[in-house]
Amino acid sequence: MFASISSAVLHGAVGHPIRVEVHVGKGLPGFTISGLPDESVRESRDRVRAAILSSALPYPDIRITVNLAPSDQRKTGSGLDLAIAVGILAASGVVDPAAAQAVAYVGELGLDGSLRAIPGVAPMVGSLGDEDVVVPVDSAVEAHVAARGTVRLLQRLDELVAVLNAEQPWPEHEPPAPPPEVTTSADLADVHGQHAARRSLEIAAAGGHHLLMVGPPGAGKTMLASRLPGLLPALDRERALEATMVHSAAGVRLPAGGLITRPPYRAPHHTTSAVALVGGGSGSIRPGEISLAHCGVLFMDEIAEFAPKVLDGLRQPLENRHITVSRSKINVVLPADFLLVAAMNPCPCGGGAPGACRCNAANLHRYLRRLSGPLLDRFDLRVDVHRPGVDDLLASTGGEATAVVAERVRLAREAAVGRQGCLNSRLDGSRLDRFAPLDTGGRAVLRDRLERGRLSARGYHRVRRVARTIADLDPRQPDVIPERAIHLALELRAPFDEALGRVA
Amino acid sequence: MTGASIPGAGYVAALASFDRMTATRLRALLRDRDPQEAYALAAGRVQPSDPIATLFAEYADLAQRWRTEARRHRPADAWRRCVEAGVDVVRPDDARFPAQLLGDPACPAVLFVRGDLDVLDARRVGIVGTRNATQQGRATAARFGAELAEAGVVVVSGLARGVDGAAHRGALSVDGSHPVGIVGNGLDQPYPRQHAELWARVAARGALVSEWPPGTPPDAFRFPLRNRILAALVEVLVVVESRERGGSLITAKEAGERSVDVMAVPGSVHSPASAGTNRLLSDGAAPATETADILVALGLDTRRAGRTRFDPRPAPRGTAAAIVESCRSQPLTLDAVVDSTGLSVADAAMAVARLERDGWLRSTGGWFEAIDEWADLA
Repeated sequence: MFASISSAVLHGAVGHPIRVEVHVGKGLPGFTISGLPDESVRESRDRVRAAILSSALPYPDIRITVNLAPSDQRKTGSGLDLAIAVGILAASGVVDPAAAQAVAYVGELGLDGSLRAIPGVAPMVGSLGDEDVVVPVDSAVEAHVAARGTVRLLQRLDELVAVLNAEQPWPEHEPPAPPPEVTTSADLADVHGQHAARRSLEIAAAGGHHLLMVGPPGAGKTMLASRLPGLLPALDRERALEATMVHSAAGVRLPAGGLITRPPYRAPHHTTSAVALVGGGSGSIRPGEISLAHCGVLFMDEIAEFAPKVLDGLRQPLENRHITVSRSKINVVLPADFLLVAAMNPCPCGGGAPGACRCNAANLHRYLRRLSGPLLDRFDLRVDVHRPGVDDLLASTGGEATAVVAERVRLAREAAVGRQGCLNSRLDGSRLDRFAPLDTGGRAVLRDRLERGRLSARGYHRVRRVARTIADLDPRQPDVIPERAIHLALELRAPFDEALGRVA
Repeated sequence: MTGASIPGAGYVAALASFDRMTATRLRALLRDRDPQEAYALAAGRVQPSDPIATLFAEYADLAQRWRTEARRHRPADAWRRCVEAGVDVVRPDDARFPAQLLGDPACPAVLFVRGDLDVLDARRVGIVGTRNATQQGRATAARFGAELAEAGVVVVSGLARGVDGAAHRGALSVDGSHPVGIVGNGLDQPYPRQHAELWARVAARGALVSEWPPGTPPDAFRFPLRNRILAALVEVLVVVESRERGGSLITAKEAGERSVDVMAVPGSVHSPASAGTNRLLSDGAAPATETADILVALGLDTRRAGRTRFDPRPAPRGTAAAIVESCRSQPLTLDAVVDSTGLSVADAAMAVARLERDGWLRSTGGWFEAIDEWADLA
């Protein structure tokens, strides 16, 4: 007559446990679902009925009432199908209700009674605590990552009847073959010349400083940016889980081990919409590119070509390292702690050496003004990238390899975290005074720039943060920041918007 | 203001504002006619028997268009604008009209002038070049401007950004110089706006000349027309920097057609800003590497030219001197400085920052350019 089955739904990148209560009783034949289901959940009535009938199981032609508890919360997605079907079978006595209620279920049903994978299995299973959980075979990897109980794999609904009635043991299914491992061949050793840009990548990785590369087409901005994830240390278990949850929720296939252990790299195209970038959508809220880049690198090529509204959407996540997506009926917080690397041309024509630019002043202004001041302020590093010289291209050896630089980055990050508990990019004014003292030479240089109006108060903090990282990358790791670190920090903060009269 | 109180110049200014009004058409309209009559003719209906009817026959809608234009450009308004902007209307029959233009086949029918045209009685050199000039190009223009002014030569240029502005600033740095600016828009609205002060100083010391009345916007098509006046006014034209198809090459071509000597400043084969000037040189223009070259072309005494100014900057030594030297031949990036000196990125950044502080280098868009002693004017 009655069964209460455990399942879960997804909100953003977080799973919520749900009780699926099923009552089968007298009355006119009918099937109602209460408890704030959205359209995708209501559609499961037809799938469940067809799946049960296709599996040659008896379907009760009397009144079926399903309630999804807690009933004040919106439910979305097709992951409740399996739980509803099991609830009906248990309430109508086809399977043993006690056995059915001992396990949780997550998965979508096909009309033929087969089980289908859905996005977000990892966070959903994670939310179920140490309950045992039944998932579709195709979701095996995701479920194993997050499960604390036993994971049971299932291919078809009818397999379940025999198991729950204790006629057969749980079937042993092979998890599907993982996607072929993508070997990233992007090594920093392949980069010829580009001394300043290489250095800025290293500093960005070591201090978590957002990086803006300004340079003509063909200078190698994309190539440089793709080398950045390799410089970042592997994710620890906690961060890896966070990244994995977001990827699972977005329906992105996970690597072989299930866990995302390397910092992700996302490079959305400049036509990307605001919702696709920051996350959202009607009905269910899907993580955007910034959340997929959580714990990794978000590369925005041609950043000036993104719509201003899209760029505005970046400001909150850059500030808070998460994004709150609010809709009228739902409010979701998604993680978005990423390292932003942006690239743009110096001007609409692509520019080059002085005297080569063919842009008129008005076009140049319009182009540079697309990046708002507040967004520009987020970039600690703004480096000019030039086309490499002929000699550099022909040189048989590139620069240092990724592994060498990554080791320096690791040591610098450890030093920063050991000293102040966070990366240098998060140091604010008072903590800068404490953790990033200047020597007399460096102080004089900065004073000179400030007095001549070539440096703003914000720029002053930015330079000190970057200089702190430069000092940390030095094997001696001096406590007091030397003058040459200040000079380099100033050089890697190109005032590319001089034309607008803004100071950095 | 009643019609009777508007002087003829007001009618000329209104006519010059008309769309499709060319120097040739305006000359034809004003020939043997007083301006009021000419205006009435352009604004009204023309008898087919009138000899001026051939003018209208060239272009089908001209009569109709000008009738519309006559409603937009009233002589009273045109005159008021001239008065407010302090602009004189100078026609070829005026004694002030530059004699060099009178015999010219494309002689303007009218000039709008602020300042004193008599300064053109001296020796005249035009200095022109690209707007997107390099630091070196601007410094060269400023040096030529100053040293020519020192020699008593009138510097004529277009008051544009880049080379033009630098030449004017150089000339203005010499006391008692009389630079002349030829522009392509109305004299009431300085263009580019950053040059407003420069316009005022040129008008006060020498003369500002335009073929168009106050209120005329800086349309692209007017600049080549302006260039022909500039070319016709000077004895020697110096092109400091020009890209492959730069506007300065039009001026050089106009000058060539008028038997005005064209000189060009040689530049690096790597610099796009010198592509046009190097082409001029291979086409037979004389090289201008120092002011004395220009003075020789004018047939003037060169003994006093090219005195170097006192340079207060502390001289760089060792690697720093080498960096300045290599930036002189072409702009360098920080990467190139690292490559050529073998310094680390941080040490190279420190070296160029010190040179920048001492005034030896300037950084634009990540490129370092050497600054010579005239850069403060450029």
